[in-house]
Amino acid sequence: MARKKKTVQEVAAVTEPLAVEESHMNNLRANLEEIKTFDGVIGYILRNSTSAAIDLKDPTKIIDYAILSSSAFDAGEVLSEDFDLGNVKSIIVDGKDVKVVSLTVSDNRISVFMDKEANCEKVLRKLHGL
Amino acid sequence: MDDEVYSFALKNTLNEIQNICPDIKNSFMFKEEGEIVAADEKTPEKVVAHVMDSFDGIFEKADAIGGVEGITLEGSKGRVTISCMNDLYLVTVTSRKADLNYVNTVTQVLIPTILRLLEKIHPSPLKNKTPSLKVETKTPVAEEPEEPLTEEPEETLETETPLPQPPVNQLIIENLGGLLVPSDTVRIDSETLSQWKELSESTKIEQVEVETFDGKTTRCKVKPIKDSKYEGKGIIRMPEKIQLDLEVRKGELVRVKPLVD
Repeated sequence: MARKKKTVQEVAAVTEPLAVEESHMNNLRANLEEIKTFDGVIGYILRNSTSAAIDLKDPTKIIDYAILSSSAFDAGEVLSEDFDLGNVKSIIVDGKDVKVVSLTVSDNRISVFMDKEANCEKVLRKLHGL
Repeated sequence: MDDEVYSFALKNTLNEIQNICPDIKNSFMFKEEGEIVAADEKTPEKVVAHVMDSFDGIFEKADAIGGVEGITLEGSKGRVTISCMNDLYLVTVTSRKADLNYVNTVTQVLIPTILRLLEKIHPSPLKNKTPSLKVETKTPVAEEPEEPLTEEPEETLETETPLPQPPVNQLIIENLGGLLVPSDTVRIDSETLSQWKELSESTKIEQVEVETFDGKTTRCKVKPIKDSKYEGKGIIRMPEKIQLDLEVRKGELVRVKPLVD
């Protein structure tokens, strides 16, 4: 009997954070869907250790944007480490045509791609508010 | 005015900017191809090289966003701003409480002014110098007769004429491994090797001298890079043994010059 009880407790301990994680992920996706409707936003990449979601208006750019996003996070880590900048809150890469805003929200790496003139502060506020 | 003077002027500018704006912790300038142009005295060259290396991925895919105009990283303890000025990138690291308007006013006004000034005094160095020697050698021939590197003519120079100024390239280390890889040989872009050959009027460049920014040097054999994915990227492929001897590792910058008999 005692053995059975222990098993149940373990399952509960494992499933609860997973459920929370999943709902957080759904919440994040919902917010990103909303952000996608903002003026000038052309898509996003959301990635964590187990899954990834990419939503871009121009699918031919997926690979380039994914590498760019990942490179931005990598560069952010190096910069933060080399210059002792603490936790990276956001990385903004300004291109001549497109701007990329990258940030980490609870282990989820998010990059939002938008036109150069789009308001990235609005996007950051929305995502930091999560 | 040569590149060293140019760098010296910019380095002094960066130091002075920090004096008037102490919230700037570090600053340096580099070219997209990976050449350090100037760094303030507080920032070790190793750190600059490491940071520049970390931008490789971004610059490689920059075409997808129309090229990089700037990068801003916001950290909990500070911020890094990378801004494009002419063909150069200026990196400034500021503390969390820095007055960004002031910092930007100072950097965005002073640096371009100095660049314009230097450009007026001597138009060639920053625009024309790239890691590729092609441009480097042609410009002095056209404008500065004291460095006739490519046109040192057939007078009496037979074999042993040393290079007037041995070309030195800054290259980024990339690992070179494998069972059949000799541990005493580095690999460099074939284009760079042929440019060195042209410059030295030598039939073959067989050895190079590699110098780290800590001043360690070694001589080793050189062969052209075989793998096309490393070509034209300012890379030196180096076996682990040489890296250990020089106490350097992948991603760091070294100075490389040909050794000609």
